[in-house]
Amino acid sequence: MPYEGNELNKVLYVEDDADIRAIAELALQDVGGFSAKLCSSGAEAVEVAPGFQPDLILLDVMMPEMDGPETLKALRKIEATQTTPVIFMTARIQRTEIDEYLSLGALGVIPKPFDPMTLADEIRRIYQELA
Amino acid sequence: MTAAAHDQLQKRLKLLQDRFIERAQSDVETLGHFARQIEQQQLSRQDLVECYQLLHRMAGSAGTFGLPELGAAARSIENQLRTVVEAKARHAEWQDAPVALPADIAMQIHELTALVQKGTDETKPESTHAHPRLHQAENAYEGSHGMKVQVMALAHNTGYLSNLMADLQGYGFACELILLQESEAAIKSLNKRSGATILLCQDSDLADVLGFRSDHIEKNEHRRFPVVGIGRQNTFESLYHVAEQGATAYFSEPLDMPALAERIESLALERGSRPQGRVLIVDDDKELGERYCLVLNNAGMKTKLVSDPTKMMSALSAFEPDIVLMDVQLRAHSGVTLARMIRYEPRWLGLPIVYLSSEDNPETQLDALAKGADEFLVKPVTDEYLIRSVRIRCYRARQLSDLMNRDSLTGLLKHSLIKQEVERELARCRRSGHLSCVVMLDLDHFKKVNDTWGHGQGDIVIRTLAHLLRNRLRESDTIGRYGGEEFLVVLSDCPTEQAKELIDDIRARFSELVFTSGDDSFQVTMSAGIAAINDFPLASEAIEAADQALYERKQAGRNGVSVYQRQDENQDD
Repeated sequence: MPYEGNELNKVLYVEDDADIRAIAELALQDVGGFSAKLCSSGAEAVEVAPGFQPDLILLDVMMPEMDGPETLKALRKIEATQTTPVIFMTARIQRTEIDEYLSLGALGVIPKPFDPMTLADEIRRIYQELA
Repeated sequence: MTAAAHDQLQKRLKLLQDRFIERAQSDVETLGHFARQIEQQQLSRQDLVECYQLLHRMAGSAGTFGLPELGAAARSIENQLRTVVEAKARHAEWQDAPVALPADIAMQIHELTALVQKGTDETKPESTHAHPRLHQAENAYEGSHGMKVQVMALAHNTGYLSNLMADLQGYGFACELILLQESEAAIKSLNKRSGATILLCQDSDLADVLGFRSDHIEKNEHRRFPVVGIGRQNTFESLYHVAEQGATAYFSEPLDMPALAERIESLALERGSRPQGRVLIVDDDKELGERYCLVLNNAGMKTKLVSDPTKMMSALSAFEPDIVLMDVQLRAHSGVTLARMIRYEPRWLGLPIVYLSSEDNPETQLDALAKGADEFLVKPVTDEYLIRSVRIRCYRARQLSDLMNRDSLTGLLKHSLIKQEVERELARCRRSGHLSCVVMLDLDHFKKVNDTWGHGQGDIVIRTLAHLLRNRLRESDTIGRYGGEEFLVVLSDCPTEQAKELIDDIRARFSELVFTSGDDSFQVTMSAGIAAINDFPLASEAIEAADQALYERKQAGRNGVSVYQRQDENQDD
């Protein structure tokens, strides 16, 4: 898979489901060629972000304690991720919800289930079109 | 990526898949526990939320691990639970009362187990035949019934369309989702098909899908594979762009599902290579007549040749053509006179008659037209011209008769015609001895739908049931709109037990469909009564019996199917 060679390299994925994290790691690193970091909660993401300095953040919407939108708010308060593009991952794609996420400042929404073989392409496409 | 790296990746993916299947097995066990509570009406509010979340998680993940069917089924149940969960969240005072859910939902949850099992079989190629019974059970239904409309979604990324395909499956379509990068299987299966298949894709993939079609399907076959685009935008520019690329239809978010389903169905009917017309050819030159038959058959039309004009009238009643193609100069008879004879029968007053003639004198042609023919084809005609002119006349004739015979809202037969169909079926049963059923269907609490959501929504509900019926029944079955929200179906050569199973399946599917009105959504159920046509001396009595069974069903609780039981059963008969 040719690597497009732009600034998109480091991707942070926040997801509470361990199995999804495992397959996402494959999809992002091995298939997509990104340097990926996986977090199991919003709190962990807030901790990890300043050191990792991601180019893009993927947020699962439905998570216990801190959900996707709340995590986004918390990340916006940190200097390292004040303007980092964010994509929401959700299993519920209703127009009203998508609009809500976009109005929060998300770059896009990727529906779940995602396909591990094409997730990276989808991210690159959204990133190149909009970021 | 190198081949070795690719293998390594596949191995790791497989490991993760296996792990997921183990988890899914334990998840469906937990869900099964909830299902039993639903059956006993003991599901607590907290369990409802847990069940809902578990389904949501499954819906969002199963596809990623190669179990798209499991994900789609979980999503369908999740959607059905959503309204209940949201309503309960608004009413804290109901906290302690158990939640009442239809038993149907419990059944659907139990069915998830089989889908996990199926996933296990599919991801282990060496054991594909380990559970033949499971696959057979799934296909058995298709064997007996189902002129299903085929829909194939093509995408670079399955996520978005998998949800849509699950919804479309709810409308009774046969749905497949195939990755563009793995399209070999799609090509093989498309090339084998005789009917139409609707290709569905997102507008961003449109160019690739159209490219795929032109690369792999011969140009003269493109008609059978119309491409329907789905997009997020509804501006002039986006529509123009989609049209310019060559999409046959386009729908934008938020999707109007009933409208989309309707369009898919009409495209499939219009584009399918099923017979596009019935042509009766009257020509005493047998060789020439047979040649016309062959040419028209090859173009997908059904033909019958009458070379002895004295048999013409009986052939008309038996074959019921859309048009008649008549040689004007037969040896012993005049085509012009034969045409006039046809018009004696009130039934054939509207039947188009086309002359095949070597007569190119306009005066003589006019004379023939006045005597009852509609048009002239001057011999010699090329094959192509013959096909085109006959096809277009068949099409017009069908349009006209549809306009007269079919209900404008649903496209189903009108009241008087469906009653006639019952009579005809009764006559056919007597002749050949097969068993047939008549079914009366009625939407439950339909007045409430109209009152709450408006008549526009009510019409959508009626049209949706009409689509579902057309999709799930065979072409040999006839469906009519009997009254406002009443439908009458004739199931030919179908015993009552089988009819009950079939109609109950349609009932279950219909009850799963979610209708949306603004931000609100609602669901509608239906009830049905079935009677065996053969049990009655008159068609009207069979209809009455089905109506009686329907009435009993409604009294005993709606959303179900009842079969008429004869009270005067006489063993000596």
